[in-house]
Amino acid sequence: MIGIFRGLMVTIATVFKKPVTVQYPDGDPIKIPGKKSTRRVHLPLSPRYMGFPALLWDDRVDEPACTGCLVCMRYCPTECITVTMKDNPLHAEGKSSRRKIVDNFEIRMERCILCAICVEVCNFEAIAMTDFHEEANLSRGGLVATKEDLFRMGRDYQKRAGIVVGSDSAEESEEPEE
Amino acid sequence: MTWSDVGWLILSVAIFIGFINFVVLALTYLERKFIGRAQGRYGPTRTGPFGLFQPIADVIKLMSKEDVLPARTDKAAFWLAPMAVFVPAFVIWVSIPFTRDIAIRNLEMGLLFIFAVSGLSIVGMIMAGWGSFNKYAMLGGARAAAQLISYEIPLIIGVLGVAMISQSLDLRVIVAEQGTWFIILQPLAFFVVFTAGLAEVGRAPFDIPFAESEVVGGPFVEYSGMHWSMFFLAEYANTFLVAVLITLLFLGGWRGIGPATGWGEDVMMAFWFFSKTMVVVLVIFWIRTALPRFRIDQVMALAWKFLIPLSFLNLLLTGFYLFYGWSDWSISLMSLAVLLSAYYAVMRRRRSQIPRPTMVKVPVRRGRVLG
Repeated sequence: MIGIFRGLMVTIATVFKKPVTVQYPDGDPIKIPGKKSTRRVHLPLSPRYMGFPALLWDDRVDEPACTGCLVCMRYCPTECITVTMKDNPLHAEGKSSRRKIVDNFEIRMERCILCAICVEVCNFEAIAMTDFHEEANLSRGGLVATKEDLFRMGRDYQKRAGIVVGSDSAEESEEPEE
Repeated sequence: MTWSDVGWLILSVAIFIGFINFVVLALTYLERKFIGRAQGRYGPTRTGPFGLFQPIADVIKLMSKEDVLPARTDKAAFWLAPMAVFVPAFVIWVSIPFTRDIAIRNLEMGLLFIFAVSGLSIVGMIMAGWGSFNKYAMLGGARAAAQLISYEIPLIIGVLGVAMISQSLDLRVIVAEQGTWFIILQPLAFFVVFTAGLAEVGRAPFDIPFAESEVVGGPFVEYSGMHWSMFFLAEYANTFLVAVLITLLFLGGWRGIGPATGWGEDVMMAFWFFSKTMVVVLVIFWIRTALPRFRIDQVMALAWKFLIPLSFLNLLLTGFYLFYGWSDWSISLMSLAVLLSAYYAVMRRRRSQIPRPTMVKVPVRRGRVLG
């Protein structure tokens, strides 16, 4: 009986407290820099939160870190990645060590299962799992993340997470100059 | 009886049924909101301001839903069962006075009528359980039958104490007799009637006939759409009925502070009646937030071993009080003493049954902890 009253007191005390629910996506919208849309307030994401994959940017040469080698495309279990490759014009000018570079890169978000296998198999650390997750869309076509979307997401994530496309690994895989 | 009388009666019945339906909708909203807050959430917020239109959305959803008739059912029992539950739940309101002057028909044997009619709803539960051709429904119907019949005894015998003191079964007289509220005069009866009333309408923690985790909704498993909503309406109407009865029998009904004549009196009577009822309803919801569901054997044991002896004791005490003309405070004290000693006895018995926890040496695990 005392236990019953204790339980009753707990629930009635909770009634007068503020609910723990975060009214996402009804909270105050926050403007995202460099993007037209706004972002709603939600609980802080965990540091290891795994959202959509995105392409990283090599700031040293100002080009994508991806060489378009198709490994991610071949390993993707849901076949949601499409990649094409082209000759790197910066390599011809001697500015970049990458002979080939990504021409087009698309991820179909509606099929992606966020398994991170593409990140696992990438030889150049050019793709990473970001914390982006608010890519809901009203049309099917809008769910296809183009190269520009992926770079935008990737650079934003790099800035926030402090990821620099690694000098060590990049130099290791650097090909000898002719 | 003239035609105008009949017309007036039909109009008032229609108004009352509309009113009860409104109250049921309000109660569903109130319950969801209150329980949400008690669990640290908001409850409904999406439909209208503060989610106020949630009940209306629920009604639209229920009305547009398909009414499924499962294969191999007993059709007559299956289709009639919602009626058999719904009709008694609404017929009862005919005899409930909301204030001293507002009632469709104030019956001199009102209390008897209420309990006689409310006993009928069990038939509907058993019909639903039998007609559905479903094991869970059958089990739920059997549970409902066992529970409702058991709890009717302490409920009615507990109420008898009140009827004895007020010397009437007329609810208006019972309220008029409550110079001191009967909860003060009869705490034991209040406890018994409140507990048994909760069990009668199958509210938590006595919701074993409808327990989702055990019998998937009990007798209502196979129902959908409008027929299910009839059960639902009856359930909430009955919850409100328990609150109203507790108010009328123990909390002084419409008695309260206010002007004693004219319009103001009526308004104040209605105000006091409904605010007391709402408090009781909130307490019922509150109990639901805190207490886990009983096991069926615990429920039956509570009725037969605890509430029925207590209710008879209350009857005996009230009889002595009336026969020897004891003073008011003595019966309320004795009633309380019986309640407390019963609680003490139960706790002692429980303590003696539970083995004391003993210290056990936990073996220390050597080596690396995995995981």
